[in-house]
Amino acid sequence: MADAATIAWTPRGSWAGILASGEFGTAGQPGVTIEARDGLGIASLIAGDGRDEALAQALQGHIGLGLPLTPCIVSSARHSLVWAGPDQWHLIAPDRNGFDELLRDLAPLAAISDQSDGRAALRLSGPKVRDTLAKGCMLDLHPSAFPVGTAALTSIAYMGVHLWRIADDPASGDAVFEIMVARSMAGSFWSWLSASAAEFGCKVTATGRG
Amino acid sequence: MRITCPHCGARDVQEFTYLGDANPQRPEGMATTEAAMHDYVYQRDNPAGRHRELWYHSAGCHAWLVVTRDTRTHAIETVETARARAQGDAA
Ligand SMILES: [Zn+2]
Repeated sequence: MADAATIAWTPRGSWAGILASGEFGTAGQPGVTIEARDGLGIASLIAGDGRDEALAQALQGHIGLGLPLTPCIVSSARHSLVWAGPDQWHLIAPDRNGFDELLRDLAPLAAISDQSDGRAALRLSGPKVRDTLAKGCMLDLHPSAFPVGTAALTSIAYMGVHLWRIADDPASGDAVFEIMVARSMAGSFWSWLSASAAEFGCKVTATGRG
Repeated sequence: MRITCPHCGARDVQEFTYLGDANPQRPEGMATTEAAMHDYVYQRDNPAGRHRELWYHSAGCHAWLVVTRDTRTHAIETVETARARAQGDAA
């Protein structure tokens, strides 16, 4: 028998090997900017029967945010809560510092599942971001139909996506969307997104993680 | 055809999965007759007109819905969540 091998597991970012920083597609001023949102703390919260109120109070105490009861996202300086279906939410933090402790504190009030390594998220902006998304997204993303703070569960190119709109880019005034997919779909989603964005010119910022 | 999900708003029908007639009630398995169970499992009306049916918002919020639809025109009369419907039935 061979000697027991020593295996070193290294963490890999959800877009590692998929996204690379740089520009592609039509040259010139990029119409779409795409930024990897990597290393996030992500957890799904499902309120126990009749415990929505207690969960809402605990979240208010811990992160200062209330539970959105319609498809939208609420954010503080650090955390976000996104509606993810009836009685379901995603709690998102920019990193995992203190995330386990926060989930442990909330555990008695909800069914919680850490999705930090299970989802892949991107931030999209630029003057052509809506034209790009319109190639696969069946929702009306016009500002009058999808204002800042709106969230939705839908599908793009047969892949389930969770998307929401955050505050406009303060420099350009362009709309900013975030899209989250199952991590196993990251490669397929990128293949759709990169093909859809290419004609507008696209600038990518990967995190360089993993 | 578009279905207005009570949670998500109007969505294209391809986001939904059809189950069928929302009316049959499962008989109590141990107490009922074979014939009644057979009817529950296999017998369905095929109305030309108003139909109460179950739809699942599979590519959206994952809620089960009860949709009242005209099978001739696809005009949708009402959409309720199955949960609200079940609570209403129980009340
Ligand atoms: Zn829905």
